[in-house]
Amino acid sequence: MSTPIVQMSNVFKRYRALTALEDINLTLNQDKIYGLLGRNGAGKTTLMSILTAQGFASSGHVNVFGENPYENEKVLRRICFIRESQKYPDDFHAKHAFKAAALFYKNWDNDFALQLVKDFELPLNRRIKKLSRGQLSAVGVIIGLASRAELTFFDEPYLGLDAVARQLFYDRLLDDYAEFPRTIVLSSHLIDEVANLLEHVIIIDKGKIILDDDADNIRGSALTVSGTGARVESFIGNRTVLHREGIGALVSITLEGQLSAGERREAQELGLDVSPVSLQQFVIRKTLDAGAGLEFDAESQAKQTKKATRMGAIR
Amino acid sequence: MNRAVAVARMQLINKWTFLGIPALILLSSFALTLAIWAMIPDTAEGAKYSGAGQAVMWYFFALGLQSMSLTFPFSQGLSISRRNFFLGTVGLFAVVAAVVSGLYVVLGYLETATHGWGLNGQMFALQWIAKQNGFMQMFFYFVLMMFLFLLGFWGATVYKRWQATGMLLACIALAVVLVGAVGLITWRGWWPAVGSWMAAQTPGTTGLLALGLAALLGAGAYLTLRKATP
Repeated sequence: MSTPIVQMSNVFKRYRALTALEDINLTLNQDKIYGLLGRNGAGKTTLMSILTAQGFASSGHVNVFGENPYENEKVLRRICFIRESQKYPDDFHAKHAFKAAALFYKNWDNDFALQLVKDFELPLNRRIKKLSRGQLSAVGVIIGLASRAELTFFDEPYLGLDAVARQLFYDRLLDDYAEFPRTIVLSSHLIDEVANLLEHVIIIDKGKIILDDDADNIRGSALTVSGTGARVESFIGNRTVLHREGIGALVSITLEGQLSAGERREAQELGLDVSPVSLQQFVIRKTLDAGAGLEFDAESQAKQTKKATRMGAIR
Repeated sequence: MNRAVAVARMQLINKWTFLGIPALILLSSFALTLAIWAMIPDTAEGAKYSGAGQAVMWYFFALGLQSMSLTFPFSQGLSISRRNFFLGTVGLFAVVAAVVSGLYVVLGYLETATHGWGLNGQMFALQWIAKQNGFMQMFFYFVLMMFLFLLGFWGATVYKRWQATGMLLACIALAVVLVGAVGLITWRGWWPAVGSWMAAQTPGTTGLLALGLAALLGAGAYLTLRKATP
């Protein structure tokens, strides 16, 4: 039923003093929407660059559509990856960029592209250099959508887009995906906004994959119980606590796992409030947990941040 | 459609870069040269020379730089292999260079036939080249343009891959080699021999030399590009 089209095994990416990706093992299946979530500098763009042969892994194996993507037109022609910091030729207007994309993607839908231009109110006859950040993002979004490549990456596609335009993008993406199913990887740090789009979630932090699971499993994998301190504490017993916060006598505790029907009733009787955890909360908790071991060493943390910025600059 | 050909078509999407600007440079430098010649009083001394014919060639150097540094990252976004990007871009340039070379030869003949555009000027039919047959002239112009283009292209590739540090090291290395060569020639007292060798050069031999250098630059650019990232 699910056909794997991307496989990464033991992929490392090392820069001189920084490991940008560490032992990545990943499988992506056909016709699914993936969320690649993580903080800035976590390694999202590096990972996508390696998958599309725009960048190189230091070691490990990458397999896309059954083959190594590097210099492999058979594989590359089925992929589209417009990066967040995509550069366009200096003298190009948006219409030139779309014309170029039409030359290379056999499924390019020009009417769809023009419709999107209208939706995003993108000026076609202005140099891309002179566009605003949001308009620049729109150019990338339109190429990504209208190319209808079998494997499409969106790298923080919403930067600079206003709320209306972002919603437009999500709607158009879902509509078009329903009509032309394909594999989509959406990298994002605005998690709540894209949460409803995602079928599968990959969380990456400091170059490591810390979670790779179906969105439904994740939604059911944790919940928050809140109420007065003593009651909550006695209710949770020795369950795994992901997070604990309190205001005065009230505490709110995020638990791993699910409650049985009986436990739910019990919670209700105790006057406790049980609510699902949002994907964003879950990612934040997971990411902070993963980083917790490092916190005692503030100096190394500071160094790490410095390197991360440097890496960003040369990317 | 072949994707290398598609790369060439992509480079031509904005007609100005590869066609409009060279045509404009050629026309305006030619018109300005004619205007200047018209202002200089005719003397019996001989023809009036102009180096304005080179203007387009230097633009090709800039074009090599640009087509690499700006179009390569975009081509990567469209999932074009580095090989096809190289073939399409250099291939397109070879066609443009061939057309411009042909134009130079024809303009050179016209210049001679019209007695320097009626002004006794020499811009295209510089004697050293114009003495040769048409094929040799075309070969000379073509190779020279390819050389300049590939020089720009290679430089941009080095910059793309190793940033300013790489560029600096490459320039220093080149300077060391050149100074070393000058030093060696001076030390061994080879200057007279070098002088007579230079004087003995014909467009044919210079062309061959430039061809060798261009091929070297092309191969170097391709190998550097193979591992370049956008």
